[in-house]
Parts: sequence; structure tokens; C-alpha cells
Amino acid sequence: MSIRKGKNYPYGIHVKDMKELCAECPIIKMPAPKKVYISMSQHIGAPAIPIVNVGDKVVKRQLIGKESGVISANVYSSVCGTVVGIEDIVTASGLKMKHVIIENDGGDEEIFFDNIENFEPKTIIERIRLAGIVGLGGAGFPTAVKLSPSIKLDTLIINGAECEPYLNCDYRLMLENTEDIYRGVKYAALALGIKKIIIGIEANKPKAIEAFSKYHDIEVVVLKKQYPMGSEKHLIYCTTGRKVPCGKMPFDVGCCVQNIKTVIAIKHAIEDNKALSSTVLTVSGGGIKEPKNLRIQIGTSLDDIIEFCGGLVGDSVKIIAGGPMMGKAMIGTNSYTRKTNSGYLFLTDKETNVDEPTNCINCARCAKNCPMRLMPMYIESFALSGDFESAKKYGAMNCLECGSCAYNCPAKRPLVQSIAMAKSKIKELKI
Amino acid sequence: MANEKLYTFSSSPHIKAPTTTKGVMINVCIALLPAVIAGIVFFGLNAFLIIFLSVFGAVASEFIYLLIAGKKFKDIAKQFDFTSCVTGLLIGLSIGSQTPLYVPIFASAFAIIVVKMIFGGTGKNLVNPAVAGRIFAFMSFTTIMANGWLTPTSGEPITGATVLTGILGGADVSSLSILDLFLGVNLAGCIGETCKLALILGGIYLAVRGIINIGYPIIYIVVTGLFTVALNGFNFSYFLPSILSGGLMLGAIFMATDYTTSPNTTLGNVIYFIALGLVTAGLRQATGIEVVSFVILLMNLFVPLIDKFVINRPFGFVKQKKVKGE
Repeated sequence: MSIRKGKNYPYGIHVKDMKELCAECPIIKMPAPKKVYISMSQHIGAPAIPIVNVGDKVVKRQLIGKESGVISANVYSSVCGTVVGIEDIVTASGLKMKHVIIENDGGDEEIFFDNIENFEPKTIIERIRLAGIVGLGGAGFPTAVKLSPSIKLDTLIINGAECEPYLNCDYRLMLENTEDIYRGVKYAALALGIKKIIIGIEANKPKAIEAFSKYHDIEVVVLKKQYPMGSEKHLIYCTTGRKVPCGKMPFDVGCCVQNIKTVIAIKHAIEDNKALSSTVLTVSGGGIKEPKNLRIQIGTSLDDIIEFCGGLVGDSVKIIAGGPMMGKAMIGTNSYTRKTNSGYLFLTDKETNVDEPTNCINCARCAKNCPMRLMPMYIESFALSGDFESAKKYGAMNCLECGSCAYNCPAKRPLVQSIAMAKSKIKELKI
Repeated sequence: MANEKLYTFSSSPHIKAPTTTKGVMINVCIALLPAVIAGIVFFGLNAFLIIFLSVFGAVASEFIYLLIAGKKFKDIAKQFDFTSCVTGLLIGLSIGSQTPLYVPIFASAFAIIVVKMIFGGTGKNLVNPAVAGRIFAFMSFTTIMANGWLTPTSGEPITGATVLTGILGGADVSSLSILDLFLGVNLAGCIGETCKLALILGGIYLAVRGIINIGYPIIYIVVTGLFTVALNGFNFSYFLPSILSGGLMLGAIFMATDYTTSPNTTLGNVIYFIALGLVTAGLRQATGIEVVSFVILLMNLFVPLIDKFVINRPFGFVKQKKVKGE
């Protein structure tokens, strides 16, 4: 029942949020396509190992990829049908991944887990692991691992910030599946043995704030509309006032942050005995005819999604998986929905920026805006001159790659790209 | 695949703010317009010619340099970012109206070619090109420059006796009309430096457009005024004349705030502008001449040093130190 304002954090940027394109569109269930391409690495860590063969009949929510290690996750079929191929496919994001291709026969047979008898942390975490739930905000870290920290935590924070422009899927879920989120959160809290639950929601979503104010045991924290409020470290600071030290994780300050979609998946796995086989995502941008929020079967191809949304209009120059600030550009449309997808954007050349970079003029806007208080212009110039040691000294490893620096750069320098390059070089050379 | 079209592939972020270097520089030019107009109103056609020639000299030097460097005219025109316009305007505004017309051209050419382009162009210069160009003109044409002042109403060139040198020479400060100083009426001086109102309007415009932090020039101006007061036995009647005379306003608002030659952190900037104020007041007192551009040039050289030692601490930095120490 308590609503309070979040702590103010002075560093960050204001971006045009463009959410109006489909903020008020209810989530529509997209019919399962004729063929699904289910990736075996939809998470951080080791890819799942396919346990079906070409020609096998599978039913919906049947295990087709088995986890292969602690940091890994099960993958389930999202349709009924026949396995027609297990192939390495290079998707439009440039990564080569093993996909199980299933031809949909339109059947509605489904497999469910058994009912959980006793609700203990151990059984809950085991069920979450079994259901193949990973962090659905984008990182894809196995949730079962995240819910079994080595130290005792005291606060569970639900990330309802959704600070990326264009995306609305979390917002729609907060309005339409409020009760599911509440129940999922309670299970996550039970698994962690935590009483204190906070949900952080940006101030531009008053309806979502209203929806959660009815629960007496969840504290609603209204966050300033600012990018990147959905970053774990900033969410923790603004809701609890705790600073996650550089190079440390949220659990080092006693917090666990969960995504809206993840807690809904937890609810479905525990109460409805369903494995994770679908996701909710936003299809938006000036280049798509009908922007929509969709509930979609995992493995649906982007071409099918484009067709369902009325096709492309105008001249889109960029297709992005995820939000426009941190999402990945794709070279074509051979992409298949994964658990962690939060949206597909089709941007026209008016919306996106393809200006050539010019000389840095040392205006220091990047340093002024960096939410991690880094100095991107120095890290960039160190990275470009190959001095990765200095790049590390200037805090390159703390970079979130949120894009606040490059967003405001008047010289249009590719700061995120250079810093990401420095980060991978620092890891590679073990500096 | 149904759709064989290839799309643009690039690193995030995929949306960017509309601000560009060109836009920033055009805004600075717009902010300088009130001073240009005031200069032309007070000093007449000659002022216009000087400003025009210094801008022309600056832009032409940049084009000639790049043509010699082997770039195509079309590319140069496309990449032209108006920084040389700003440099030219500042040089034109910071010399006297009776200066011979070849001086602004030489000053601009020196500023652009030697100070800016040889070091790598926009953003790579060590010192502010406009300041260096002005000083180059003063050093090279010492006698001519000193005779270039003109009191607008009398129409006669006068030698070296701007209000500032009068104040520093011990003239009675109480006889000065602060309003005249502020508006630039009946005042001898450089074309763009006499009308403080026009400069302040420009400064406010830049602050509103988010191009400069108005706090920094205020620090510079206030520190200069206060230190002058302190050096004169805490006689507060020196405060307004000292901040309203000479090239302080133009220097503080438009020259010292130059992105390339000012520090990159808030703390660094505060240090830089306080130092500018102290050195300006001190040197003015010690030498009896106007020193703002020399001080900016001098302090520009300390900027890399400030930037080396004053850097931002990453979010969560302090706690990490503690953990390391345990």
C-alpha cells in the first residue's frame, strides 16, 4: 500500500521515449507459425544440448534442449509437430547458433509439470531451473542461479522501469498481468527468504503505479523518468540508496533484481506447471505498419512477425532486436524469437542516426551524462590508440554500454563501440 | 528468405540527439550576433569591414589549407563545421575599429592555419585559436594595434587609453558611469568588447541552448572582480568597473568556455575558471594593461594538466577502495 518517490540520481539522460506508438495496444497472442526455429543458446552460458532427432514427433512444452552445466538452461518446444532439422544457423545478428527446427502440425497437445507438493525454497528453485527460466530482461542469466546466492539477501527489487524508448511489453504486462506478477514475486521472495519487496516504476507509467498500489506487502517506488533507470545498479541506488561497488554484483549489497517477464514466468512454472515457451515483445518503429505488443511463441521467425504486423512501410534502414539504446542491429530478417527478446524495432532514417563521426571537440557531454561517471572520450581515445591499460584505469570495465554518451555526442563518435572493443580486449589480454 | 534487403548494421545506440558540432558552432555564431551588431552601431562601417574580413580570412584559410592537404572542395564544404566562423568572429570582435584592414586577415590566417589546422583541425588545438590570433596581431603590429582605439562619439583615435587602463592607472573610479560601461556608450575599446549587454545576451542564449554552463563565466568574472577589490584594499567601488571593462566579458563568455581548451570535468572547470579570475586580476594590477587574452592563452596550457589530475570517479568507486583495503 505504500508508494514513495525514489532517490534522485543526477547523472543520466533524457531521451524521447516514443512509447506512444503502442503503449495503449493490449498484448495480442500471435498464432503459432508454420515453422519455428528454436535456438539452443537463448541464455548466458553453455548452450543447451538437443535431445531430439530429426523426424521425432514433439508436443508443446516438451523438453528439446537439455541444460549442459550450472550456467545453462533447458529449452522447450513451443509448438506440436515434427522436428525437421537441427542446424547451425547464422542469424541476422551475426552469431552462429544451433537451432532445432520444428514444423507445426497445429495440434494442441501439451505437457505439464507435476503439481508442487510443498512450497519450499529448494523445490521452487528446482522448478524454476527445470522450466528453463532465465533473466528475460535481456541478459539471459539463469534465474535459478540468481535465486540461490551464496549470501543472505534482504531486498527483492522488481524492475518495472522499462527506460528504453519504444518498448512497452513490461508496461502492458504490469497492467494486464498484475496478479501474475504479484504471485511470481511472492514465489521469488519465498525462494530467497526475503520479506522486503520493492517494485520500481518510472513516473511516466501512472497506471502501472496505480495497479500495484493495491498490494500491502509490495513497496512501489516511483522513479524519475530518466535513462538508464532500468540498469540494475541505478535501480538499486534509486530504490534503496545502496551503491553497488565497482566490479561487484547486486547481491553484494543484499539485493536481487528481477525482471517483470521473469517473475511472470516463475508464476506460470510454479502454479500452472508450464515450462517457458513463449514471450511478450513489442514490435514498433516508424517502419512497421501496425506497431503491436505480442505474445509470441519462442522460435517464431521475424518474417512471420512482420507479416502479422501488416508488413513494412516506408523505408526502414535499421532493424533492431531490443530497444534503440542497447539493442543489437540486424543485417537482415533471418532472426528467430528467443526467450530474452523484448522487442523488434524497424527504424526509418528519420528516427535513426547514420551520421559520419567527426573529430571529438572535447565538449565533455559524454562525461557529464555518463550514468557510471566514466569519461568516455578518454576511454575511446585510449581504445583507438591501443592503450588498453589506460582504458582500464579510466574505468572501461564499469561501462554499461547504455549509450548515454554516444546519444548526446555532437561529433557523433561511436563511443559505445570503442569502449566495448576496449572491454573485450582487456578481457582477452587479461590486463 | 522472403526479404533479401540488407539493413544498416552498426553499434548501439541507434537513436541520437539532434545536436551536432555544426549546430553548436552555428549557435555560438548566433550568440555573437548582438555583439557584432552593437560593434557596427558604435563603430560604423570600419567595424563591419574588420569583422567581415576576419571571418572571411578564417574560413578561406581553412579551405586553402585543406585544399593544399589534398581534399576535394566538395568534401571540405560538406564537412565545414563553422568553427572557423566562430574564430573569425571572435578575432574581429577583439581588435580595435581603426586597425588597418590587413591585420584581421593575418590574425585569422595565423589562428586557423598555425594554431588549429596544423594540430589536426577542430578539437585538436592546444590553445584557443581566436585568442592566439588576437595575441599574434598585438605582438606583430604593436604600434598599429595600440593606436587602433576609437571613442565612438569623438571619432578620434586615442592612444592606449581605454577605460581599463585608466582605472589601472589610478584614475578616479567614482567618476565612471557604470551604465555607460555596461552599454558601451562613449567607450573606447575593441569592436565587440564595449557593449557588455550584448555579450551577456549572447551568454544567456548559449546557456539556454545548453551549450555552455553559465556558472563558469560567472565564476571567472566574479573572481576577477573580487580579487581586484581585494588588491585595492577592499574598495568595492572597483568591483563593477573591473568586471565591466576590458575584454573580460568577451573572454569569459566566449573564449574561456571553448570546449576544446577547457577542462572536461565540473571540478576541473571550477579550478580553471577560478585560476583564470585570480591570474587576470593579479596581472592586470601588476602590469596596468589588459591581459584577459594572455591569461586565457596561458591557462589553456594548464588544461591538459588539470584534466590529468581531475577525473570523475566511477559510480560505486569509493566502496571498492574500502574493500581493497580490507
